[in-house]
Amino acid sequence: MLSYIVRRLAQMVLVLVGVTFITFIIMFVVPGNPAALLAGKNATPEKVRQIEKNLGLDQPLYVQYGKFMWRLMHGDLGTSYQLDKPVSELIALNAPNTIQLAFAAVLIELLGIPLGIYSALRQYTFWDTALTTGALLIWGIPVFVLAVFMQWFFGLKLGLLPITGGGGETFLWIFPADLENLQVLILPAVTLGLIEVAYISYMQRASMLEVIRSDYIRTARAKGVPERRVVMKHGLKNALIPVLTIAGIDLGALLGGAILTETVFNRPGIGLMTFQAIGARDLPVVAGGVLFATFFYVLANLIVDLAYGYLDPRIRLEEG
Amino acid sequence: MAERLLEVAGLTTHFFTHAGVVKAVNGVSFTLDRRETLGIVGESGSGKTVAALSVMRLVPDPPGKVVAGSVTLDGRDLLALSDDEMRQVRGNDIAMIFQDPMTSLNPVYKVGDQIAEAVMLHQDKGKKEAWRMAAQLLARVGIPDADQRVDQYPHEFSGGMRQRAMIAMAISCNPDILIADEPTTALDVTIQAQIIEVVKEMQEQYESGVILITHDLGVVAEMADKIMVMYGGRTVEYGPVDAIFYDPQHPYTWGLLGSLPRLDIVEKTRLTPIRGNPPDLIALAEGCPFSGRCGYERPECRDTWPELERVGPDHGVHCHIPAEERAELRSLLPRFTPEVA
Amino acid sequence: MSGTGDDKRRWRDGPLHAPLSDRGGAGDEYFGQPSRDGVEQAEPMPSGEPGMIVGRKPLGLWADTWRRLKRNRLALVGLAIIIVFLAVGLAETISSAVGFNLAPYDPNMVNYELSPEGLGSPPAWDHPFGTDYLGRDIFSRVLVATRISLLVGVIAVAISLVIGLTAGPLAGYYGGAFDSVVMRIADIFFAFPYILFVLLLVTVLGGGFVNVFIAIGILSWATYARLVRSSVLSVRKMEFIEAARAQGASDVRIIFRHVLPNSMAPVYVAIAMGVGGAIVAEAALSFLGIGIQPPDASWGKMISDNLSYLLAGRWWMVFFPALALVVTVFGFISFGNGLRDATDPKLKE
Repeated sequence: MLSYIVRRLAQMVLVLVGVTFITFIIMFVVPGNPAALLAGKNATPEKVRQIEKNLGLDQPLYVQYGKFMWRLMHGDLGTSYQLDKPVSELIALNAPNTIQLAFAAVLIELLGIPLGIYSALRQYTFWDTALTTGALLIWGIPVFVLAVFMQWFFGLKLGLLPITGGGGETFLWIFPADLENLQVLILPAVTLGLIEVAYISYMQRASMLEVIRSDYIRTARAKGVPERRVVMKHGLKNALIPVLTIAGIDLGALLGGAILTETVFNRPGIGLMTFQAIGARDLPVVAGGVLFATFFYVLANLIVDLAYGYLDPRIRLEEG
Repeated sequence: MAERLLEVAGLTTHFFTHAGVVKAVNGVSFTLDRRETLGIVGESGSGKTVAALSVMRLVPDPPGKVVAGSVTLDGRDLLALSDDEMRQVRGNDIAMIFQDPMTSLNPVYKVGDQIAEAVMLHQDKGKKEAWRMAAQLLARVGIPDADQRVDQYPHEFSGGMRQRAMIAMAISCNPDILIADEPTTALDVTIQAQIIEVVKEMQEQYESGVILITHDLGVVAEMADKIMVMYGGRTVEYGPVDAIFYDPQHPYTWGLLGSLPRLDIVEKTRLTPIRGNPPDLIALAEGCPFSGRCGYERPECRDTWPELERVGPDHGVHCHIPAEERAELRSLLPRFTPEVA
Repeated sequence: MSGTGDDKRRWRDGPLHAPLSDRGGAGDEYFGQPSRDGVEQAEPMPSGEPGMIVGRKPLGLWADTWRRLKRNRLALVGLAIIIVFLAVGLAETISSAVGFNLAPYDPNMVNYELSPEGLGSPPAWDHPFGTDYLGRDIFSRVLVATRISLLVGVIAVAISLVIGLTAGPLAGYYGGAFDSVVMRIADIFFAFPYILFVLLLVTVLGGGFVNVFIAIGILSWATYARLVRSSVLSVRKMEFIEAARAQGASDVRIIFRHVLPNSMAPVYVAIAMGVGGAIVAEAALSFLGIGIQPPDASWGKMISDNLSYLLAGRWWMVFFPALALVVTVFGFISFGNGLRDATDPKLKE
């Protein structure tokens, strides 16, 4: 078990290195000079070169990358070209919004589990068809379309909830700690959550349907187990496993910043931060944002895999 | 303690599907006494599993339904019981074990849990005692280190052990009847014999009746007292095990036996597989389902189902061919020529 | 009556997408085994006179899949949507290449009269979807934009497939260090936050819609590679591969002529979903301002451009492109799911 974790952590490091490397290369190849952008339109070439020198942009790629990795190993993420602030500070500033959103959205999407189970048990009935069709329809809605719609409908038409903003007090970076923060969280979280609920309920239904047809369900019935327990005890545990892993990975993905949602709702999170940094050719910030997102995604995958081993005894011992 | 445990008469089970009505079981009748083993033999699609499931009322509904017949256990008609009452019968009075023990055990619960569940369902025992009984049962079916095994998961058992665990689960409540559906098919040949032994032992200990469903004639020869040969949802022949093996009456039975290799035949004879394919159970004609593959068909075979013809005290066959003609036809088959019989 | 053993012929060829270990639940027997996974039986049927009892002829894999698919109404709706989408998109592509306009109006024709106060006009008989702030007919624009969506779907997925279906089978077949390396690289591509990565790539490659499609396509190769690789891992152990090798077929030939075609089932599903995903990705990029540049129109761009008018109550300018987008994606998802269900051997009817 321990060796498995170590191996996975090593893979994780490898992936992170790979990701930063690719980011670096891309940003290097990207047209557009951050120094020029900083200097402004009317800047003289000397001024631009001066800025370049200050930022260390005149060095060749491998030097810049080397310096970056060196600093990284010491926990220093570098300094933003554009804002002249430490990247870690920027991340700390923007992360809470992203984290709150991610957890809230995943919390909402867990509602898909009972929906999916209900649908599976009532297969072929009206409700099942309705729920499944609804799920497929909503699942296909691009998130920014839904976000726009939510803004328009709930924000403007009904005037219920604020449509932009973020920041505010939080508890452990995960829970909003004041009312305004909570209010601002609702629409974006519901937007993301709704699409995921559709997906999860569909997957849960499929999983449940498959489990119900299993041989061990037949055995349970043959033992005389009451139908309710057959489903809830024998079926459910098996059916939940794949769905919980989906939710876990979703959390990991969302922690990386939901660019589209953050853009529409003007919520300053990691996604928006990175997006703006790309526009400004602000490499350290981009690298920082990408690193943040990838780190959590890979970590979430690792946790999910371990949890899978915990939930499904068959996997558990294989890895040991 | 009644001697006659089970009486099945005219059992008919159909599946109402999109593609049509699948007539899986048509008018099957048999009995089972205490300490007796009935072997139900036939190829895939013959209806043997569905017949057993019908007895247990485990046929998925929809699309399946027992449309006719009666199943009498100890005087009660099982088909007339309420769902609750039937639940109390399952696992308690009649138990069933299935072909593939790997998929038939719930992978996410410990083996002990699954056995104890059966105990707690039908007997008034608490959890601790049920688990203790589970360990005892595992030991009784020949699993070593039962106390540790009880805490393990199905995938930690080998194939043979899993089947033993299934048997333990099945006998946990001392059922009068044990139905074993292809219990050895998914197992290694060397393990098969062991499993048969275990079933036999349990049968002796609990004095129960066993219905053994299989396509493997070797297994049936070892265990069964009487055999029912099924084809296309019907019983084509039944009788004591010796009668079936040494005096088979139905052309299908000949085919089954003829496709077995035999060590005592001196001359080289070819194995004779049965030509053709299993019948389409949706487009089943009114007559004998074997016509079309039989090779000896008469015009009436396709349209009318032959009446029961008693060939011996407990030996019956459904066939239109008169007995003397059958004997002659049979003697022409390489396997049944007089020198080798 | 002595048989000649003509039923000895092996029927175990053709695509297998899951191990046959599961014997299924009750009633498995009555369907007879061969048709369960739709594998074609090589046996000739005994010639039947009417009323004769013969085995039901098992269908080939595609026919069986289609039969199961037919019963899934949502999937059929999805298929219909896809067909309409393909038809319109194709027509638009051809007509624009030729210089011919199929739409009722010129999608780029500015007409201030139709846009009083620069706010466009609502849907009416002659302009069923209304006009936008420049007086351009929205119906025509939506129609023409179908072309972009079709192109992105096809090109992006094609690129992904080319890369993925080369790397995947090779990795799965050879295994070992090569496999590990390929899978690590795939991991990196999986771990990268999708939109960000596409954004970065587009920024590098520059705008213009072809680059956008390439960017979207390059990222998704890993999905197909992984899928095909798992299939390959099981297929390569099968006996007909041994047979091919015994005949002296080269490795490459084995991989691409024998192994790959039999590993494709989950890939088809992924393609359906992938096209849907590519369309959404393009829309998202256009929405963010990266991607399609004027005067080309795509649904995403139309939504983004007209967003501010939504707040002024001019809902149709955003609604109709959004509708087109949602319906199209729904079609692909629906069909993709239906296809997955129809090819899943464990899902009994």
